[in-house]
Amino acid sequence: MGVSSRLKSRVQRFLQRPGTTVDLGPLEKLLPKVAAREDALKELDDAELTEAAGKADEYVEICAVGREAARRGLDQRAYDVQLIGAMALLSGKVAEMATGEGKTLTAAIAAYGHVRRGHGPVHVLTVNDYLARRDALWMAPVYKLLGLSVGWVTEASTPEQRRAAYNNDVTYVSVSEAGFDYLRDQLVVDIDDRVQRELATCIVDEADSILIDEARVPMVLAGTVPGEQDPVHAADALVRGLRNKRDYEIADDGRSVALTSAGLSRIESELDDVDLYAAENFDQLSAVNVALHAHALLHRDVDYIVRNGAVELVDEMRGRVAQRRRWPDGLQAAVEAKEGLGATAEGEVLDTITVQAYIGLYKTLCGMTATAVLVGHELREFFKLEVAVIPPNTPCVRVDESDRIYATRAEKEEALIEEIRSAHETGRPVLVGTLDVKESEQLAAGLKAAGVECVVLNAKNDEEEAAIIAEAGMHNAVTVSTQMAGRGVDIRLGGSDQTDYDRVSDLGGLYVIGSGRHDSRRVDDQLRGRAGRQGDPGTSVFFVSLEDELVVRHAPELIPASPRMHADGLVEDEAVNYAIEHAQRVAEGVNHEIHRNTWRYSVVIEQQRLALAVRRERLLTTDVAGDMLRERCEEKAESLEDDELVNRVGRSIALYHLDRLWAEHLAELSEVREGVHLRALGRLDPLDEFHRAAVPAFNDLFPKIEERTVATFEESEIDEDWEPEVATLVRPSATWTYLVHDNPFGSELDRLISAVGRRIASSR
Amino acid sequence: MLSAFLSAFRTPDLRKKLLFTIGIVAIYRLGATLPSPGVSYGNAQKCIEALETGTPGVFTLLNLFSGGALLSLSVFALGIMPYITASIILQLLTVVIPRLEQLRKEGQAGQAKITQYTRYLTLGLAILQSSAFVALARSGQLFNNRCNEWPLIPEGTGMPMWITLVTLVVTMTAGTGVVMWLGELITDRGVGNGMSVLIFTSIAARLPSEGWSIKESQGWDEFFLVIALVLVVITAVVFIEQAQRRIPVQYAKRMIGRRMYGGTSTYIPLKVNQAGVIPVIFASSLLYLPQLALQFGDPNDLNSFEAWIQNHLANPADWVYIVVYFFLIIFFTYFYVSITFNPTEVAENMKKYGGFVPGIRPGKPTAEYLDFILSRITLPGSLYLGLISVLPNFFFIWLDSTAYQNFPFGGTAVLIMVGVGLETVKQIESQLMQRNYEGFLR
Repeated sequence: MGVSSRLKSRVQRFLQRPGTTVDLGPLEKLLPKVAAREDALKELDDAELTEAAGKADEYVEICAVGREAARRGLDQRAYDVQLIGAMALLSGKVAEMATGEGKTLTAAIAAYGHVRRGHGPVHVLTVNDYLARRDALWMAPVYKLLGLSVGWVTEASTPEQRRAAYNNDVTYVSVSEAGFDYLRDQLVVDIDDRVQRELATCIVDEADSILIDEARVPMVLAGTVPGEQDPVHAADALVRGLRNKRDYEIADDGRSVALTSAGLSRIESELDDVDLYAAENFDQLSAVNVALHAHALLHRDVDYIVRNGAVELVDEMRGRVAQRRRWPDGLQAAVEAKEGLGATAEGEVLDTITVQAYIGLYKTLCGMTATAVLVGHELREFFKLEVAVIPPNTPCVRVDESDRIYATRAEKEEALIEEIRSAHETGRPVLVGTLDVKESEQLAAGLKAAGVECVVLNAKNDEEEAAIIAEAGMHNAVTVSTQMAGRGVDIRLGGSDQTDYDRVSDLGGLYVIGSGRHDSRRVDDQLRGRAGRQGDPGTSVFFVSLEDELVVRHAPELIPASPRMHADGLVEDEAVNYAIEHAQRVAEGVNHEIHRNTWRYSVVIEQQRLALAVRRERLLTTDVAGDMLRERCEEKAESLEDDELVNRVGRSIALYHLDRLWAEHLAELSEVREGVHLRALGRLDPLDEFHRAAVPAFNDLFPKIEERTVATFEESEIDEDWEPEVATLVRPSATWTYLVHDNPFGSELDRLISAVGRRIASSR
Repeated sequence: MLSAFLSAFRTPDLRKKLLFTIGIVAIYRLGATLPSPGVSYGNAQKCIEALETGTPGVFTLLNLFSGGALLSLSVFALGIMPYITASIILQLLTVVIPRLEQLRKEGQAGQAKITQYTRYLTLGLAILQSSAFVALARSGQLFNNRCNEWPLIPEGTGMPMWITLVTLVVTMTAGTGVVMWLGELITDRGVGNGMSVLIFTSIAARLPSEGWSIKESQGWDEFFLVIALVLVVITAVVFIEQAQRRIPVQYAKRMIGRRMYGGTSTYIPLKVNQAGVIPVIFASSLLYLPQLALQFGDPNDLNSFEAWIQNHLANPADWVYIVVYFFLIIFFTYFYVSITFNPTEVAENMKKYGGFVPGIRPGKPTAEYLDFILSRITLPGSLYLGLISVLPNFFFIWLDSTAYQNFPFGGTAVLIMVGVGLETVKQIESQLMQRNYEGFLR
């Protein structure tokens, strides 16, 4: 490193730029020592290696043993950079490693290291069940040689299987399964029903996706509400005939919709001229609003797909079906009504936790991903994590071309198909990343018409994912996919067995084409990263049009009226380039803001949950409830003449009321949350106001539990086989929040200035 | 309020924050009393004394906000004002410069850049202002030419004058940078809003000396009477500042899990004093203008119009001044409320997210309803602001002296202090989440 570049990295480290704060130098110095151990370890037989593995507790020995175990178990010698990555994970960092660098093995060595250093058990959190199972099975031989037990959990696992899996040294599990298992453990009425042990260490795979994108979506455990009638289906018929702009208006940010007065009177006249805003029609109004939201804002094959008679949500960041995710507050039923499906049972929220709060429960946290630096600030803000940039084993030679921008969508699509066709003619494999399911299907149809055979991979056929991806690098292959192909998949040139490697490599390797910029640079980069793994050749390019939703929604005012363009419609204009970059930054900013607000408002709830968990634990494991009942209801308790029975009954009554009241508390808080932004109008801080409502409400909880427990005890007929009514558990789902800003009106100064600005503008 | 502080000190996390804030405030006060190199501390004190016996200078309000640091040209002489000015200028520029508006839309990353620009602008303004004040001090105008026999920046120190002047400007600019940093530290790691807390500190720092000067000039009886009156005023201000009318709002967009919780958790709080302290600052700034104009003329040669201004409009102890001041405040209250609370916009926002006032249809009827309530509640609010603000002027008449123009017990000061105090206590309260919960499960 030259003096100037060293100085530069010093300055950047001083400024705490993400990705520069971790000095890998000390870790690199350990590599020769690791290499020096290699020959000695090779001499050992498997049993001796396992024995040596049991003694390692220093970085050097952990890495050396890990490398040897991988050589024997997988026939792979871990690269130096993988060992550096493993050491970065051991020191609690987020390791940024490019695609194809072997993150899975890195994580396995790090997991082993964490266990050996006394931080076990380790959970490796993945983005989905498929990866959890695949990685666990793949790495099992390595773990066996290292003397560790490994297990995995998927959605289909039974409670017994889960308990067994969590009892291993290392458990592979998707983050949502782990979170829901935690929530369910919080609601058990018998201590033996728990499946998880204490949370110690987690290694987060695809860290930016889980820690940043998922963190916006709280996980919700819902119980079914019996006897719920279905006003949404009726409302669905009412909004079916409404038209945009005439009957309703969609807000600029596309996140909310409201009836115009024309639309309102149309609906009211259909309902025989009722006043929807009268107090007694509140439920009807809610149903209409929810139905309208489903119709105007949610689109089939973009936001959700219909498969096997059920509505399944598509994750906007990953393009996959989001496991178990549902829309909140009756919206799910409204979408089901819109698609003519029967409503699935709606749930009342029993408990909820954000991904961020769940991950915060682990004492040690580290992660890895190919795109961490771009969210470095957020990782630091929300998780106090620093990013370590691990150099690639072989330098990346992929060519990233600049965007091809067209004025209209039609021109873009035409050029896109032409580009695919001409690349395909040479036999070069092409991977096209589209923005949503609908677009992938339209593009596939267009390609077919142009005489190009292609394979489609999207949320609808995600079970074929592994097979499609395995052959995407073959000679002549054309694969059209959603963002699904953007993460966790490894495309080998020349097909899965790499027979055609040289031929494809000579053609220039995999050609990745994006049909539009995504809402986040990270998703773009992930897509580009499919090409150029392990020093392979490859090319990537994005096709953008000025009519793309990203541009239209976030930067319409920046598009010049007549941008400079070539005869074939290709736009080449600095202003346009800036506008597209700007639109993407705005989209990222909005998502960041949602994450921040979701987090800021959940902090107090998380603290209350922890406080409550301590009390619940005591109720569950001791006889405090029985003691309390003997004190407060002396007569009744004595009449039972059985201390054990009083303890048992007291415990289950108190637990029942504790869970009920917590659910009510959560419902009350979400109601407060909904309108708390209005407090800003009275120069009050919405967050402070939220706390001022939440804290006293929580303080009331314990006396209330006590009171209700006493009352139930006094009222109930109690005998030997007494059991409380239990709400039928438990439908895990995840849901999200609408709120972007907690003060949509801006500060007082903002309002003052915008008012002045308006007046100046109108006087011109 | 006291109990909030006590339990805050019992919570380790909050205790750390509070002590941190107090530490920063101590540093701030130290810098505000530390004279800059080249300034004669003795002479400055004599000049300030001389000023207090005569008519007030032009810079009294600024001096109040800097906690008395300005007139003694201390290291933190400029205080937090350049930072506030810079923030306001940048906010204004977002309307004019599209690039800034775009940055703002980019969320936090863009906002961070704007904050960085604000800091640069603050330093720029600090250089300008410190140069100006050093020049004013050199020419004697900082004290209305009333203390030219004690030069603030004496000659003959053995150092060339230009070096002294440059050192002064550099010191005060650097001081402003430090104050800005202190303010941000409080916001990030302490309690309350850094800027507000520092202004609060500056004003509160004047209380003891001003109180003492009442005792010195008027005696113990008046001193206690003033203290008692001030306590009554503060109580009244605390009471009215918290008064609000709650307009209930319902959101009709959820079908599940909805129960009625007394139905009062969602509302728009309309404050009696919806405008805050800004109208008072506007009005008093406007009333400085006649005084400023008089500065340009020769004080010993006034024509009749100038003399009338001198005796009535520029004299805080005169009835004309008091009446004009009072009505200006009422006017600015209505003006400011009408600008910062736009009923149509609020109604639109509610409609957008499916909210409505029970019994009132969304859109125009809601806007009209809000407007009606708002204009009703602004009347008592404006009268209250006017009364609180002119109270110190009655003190002048009663004590027969105009020396208390920057009287820290007066309208602006009390309103700011109570406002910041309430805001900070509310924040502390809201952070007091971990407590000893009651009940049998302890």
